[in-house]
Amino acid sequence: MAALPRRIIKETQRLMQEPVPGISAVPDDSNARYFHVIVTGPEDSPFEGGLFKLELFLPEDYPMSAPKVRFITKIYHPNIDRLGRICLDILKDKWSPALQIRTVLLSIQALLSAPNPDDPLANDVAELWKVNESEAIRNAKEWTRRYAMDN
Amino acid sequence: MEEPINRSQGGESDMECSDNECYEEYYYDLNDDSDIEQVDPSKKDPEHFEYKCLLEEQVERLLNETVERLSNMLDITPSLAKVLLHSHSWNNNEIVTKYRENPTNLLVTSRIEPAVSSTITHNARYIHCPVCVTPQSLDKFYSLSCSHMFCKDCWTTHFEVQITQGISTTISCMARDCVVLAPEDFVLKHLTRPNMREKYQQFTFQDYVKSHPELRFCPGPNCSIVIHSKEMKAKRATCSQCKSIFCFRCGMNYHAPTDCLVIKKWLTKCADDSETANYISAHTKDCPKCHICIEKNGGCNHMQCYNCKHDFCWMCLGDWKSHGSEYYECSRYRENPNIAHESVHAQNVLFQAREALKKYLHYYERWENHSKSLKLEEQTLEKLRSRINQKVMSGLGTWIDWQYLFSAAGLLAKCRYTLQYTYPFAYYMDPGPRKELFEYQQAQLEAEIENLSWKIERAETTDRGDLENQMDIAEKRRTTLLKDFLDV
Ligand SMILES: [Zn+2]
Ligand SMILES: [Zn+2]
Ligand SMILES: [Zn+2]
Ligand SMILES: [Zn+2]
Repeated sequence: MAALPRRIIKETQRLMQEPVPGISAVPDDSNARYFHVIVTGPEDSPFEGGLFKLELFLPEDYPMSAPKVRFITKIYHPNIDRLGRICLDILKDKWSPALQIRTVLLSIQALLSAPNPDDPLANDVAELWKVNESEAIRNAKEWTRRYAMDN
Repeated sequence: MEEPINRSQGGESDMECSDNECYEEYYYDLNDDSDIEQVDPSKKDPEHFEYKCLLEEQVERLLNETVERLSNMLDITPSLAKVLLHSHSWNNNEIVTKYRENPTNLLVTSRIEPAVSSTITHNARYIHCPVCVTPQSLDKFYSLSCSHMFCKDCWTTHFEVQITQGISTTISCMARDCVVLAPEDFVLKHLTRPNMREKYQQFTFQDYVKSHPELRFCPGPNCSIVIHSKEMKAKRATCSQCKSIFCFRCGMNYHAPTDCLVIKKWLTKCADDSETANYISAHTKDCPKCHICIEKNGGCNHMQCYNCKHDFCWMCLGDWKSHGSEYYECSRYRENPNIAHESVHAQNVLFQAREALKKYLHYYERWENHSKSLKLEEQTLEKLRSRINQKVMSGLGTWIDWQYLFSAAGLLAKCRYTLQYTYPFAYYMDPGPRKELFEYQQAQLEAEIENLSWKIERAETTDRGDLENQMDIAEKRRTTLLKDFLDV
């Protein structure tokens, strides 16, 4: 394997030394481009109290290409689908090489606080979120309790 | 360097025919006869289309002339002129007008300059590149008009990654939320690998041609010809290199009298409904009189039962006598008059669905059938060729004597092709007098085409004068229909 670029080393060091509140990102022992991520559900959101596991992978041409991120823990959210794929502009066409792992994780945390049903990835969830928000929030809380707690 | 191949297409040959010259000649003769006044050629020929088939270097020359003109007018680099032209569909006048009104606004909306100009200044001799976080001396850094500095190596990698994804004219600055585009000279300055430079230039060329309303790539497989026409219309273009025939505006198979949007809708519908429509594509039908099974093996829809000699129409199974010359009803779909009355009943949802399917099948069946006839008539032409060969070899006339039959076959193909494309047109027409007129003309055309097909299939016994007369009638019907309904 090619030597790890300075950029990745620097980012990893900073993530360890000054972690983002509510987020832990730890590189895998055998692959420094693969991160085990845990995001705590933001306060005053239906995901509060949950611990959400994600995987983050830095592709060969990172940072020219965006990191690949996916939820492992099941989550009821209009912008996250059954496979855990995330609909977030900065992971797609709005990616800039000047963005970092840190900014990506902060954006994901923000997405949990403010779901955006007008730009959906999970259509059925987004639909319910629009027509009956209280029921959608109930579902999200239920899923959080069932899948994101006590493990 | 080769000169552009001038092709003006109208009544000229458009179908594959190995003896092209002969029926082009036919048309020239026809034109000579009627060339009394030299007015707008599209008045006489509704399909008249002026265009050129250009080679890549000719297109480049054409684009560069436009770029140079704009670059001189506005006193900007050719690279920036390209950014402006690409984002304005190569409309020079529009750019100049906008520039005179508000140059800053034009440069910002065209993503040449940032919305807010930056005031970043670097005093240190060494700075960290925000992307690779490596400290380097200031002279290794470059920026676009937005002043976002990145090191040379990062720019190179950024461009290479984008180009690998097929992106060229829309590569932007690496800074977050910065939309300033990297112009061609800036990109090329940072690309060192020859294959990357080549790819980049190939992709930008494709983008420029696609954004230019007067240009269209030939859709033929592995063909690099570009069609150029000032008339940005849904007209028929024939590639001088690979002979593909297509619509200049949408690049699909030529589709007059149907327009680009409608033909797209129709083809999508046909693809979706192919399951339902499949049963009708069967090659056999029973003779309506003696009920013996008849296989269709020619393109002509005028059938004669080999058993009872009954003449009938393959499409509607009606007696051919009523089809021969007068207006006949085979091509016309009759809306069920009861629909309006019965629609009040709830049960009629099903009924209406069935009527809709019936209507669609009526048009689809005819569309499919003429497409099949076109293919079968190609085979007929092959058979004809070998029969004529035999005749010439056994002293029955010369090759020249029989050439008119190939002209007739070419014309038949052309007429039937138009006829095929009249069906989607009719399907989407609102009922009313205009549709009635259309279907009247369609029926007339159809009748003459079947007459022509019948006469060609029995060529040996058909009199030459009679056949040529029939060709004339069929082509006149086709032109009349296009004159009245082709709206491009
Ligand atoms: Zn750099
Ligand atoms: Zn910038
Ligand atoms: Zn071609
Ligand atoms: Zn078209």
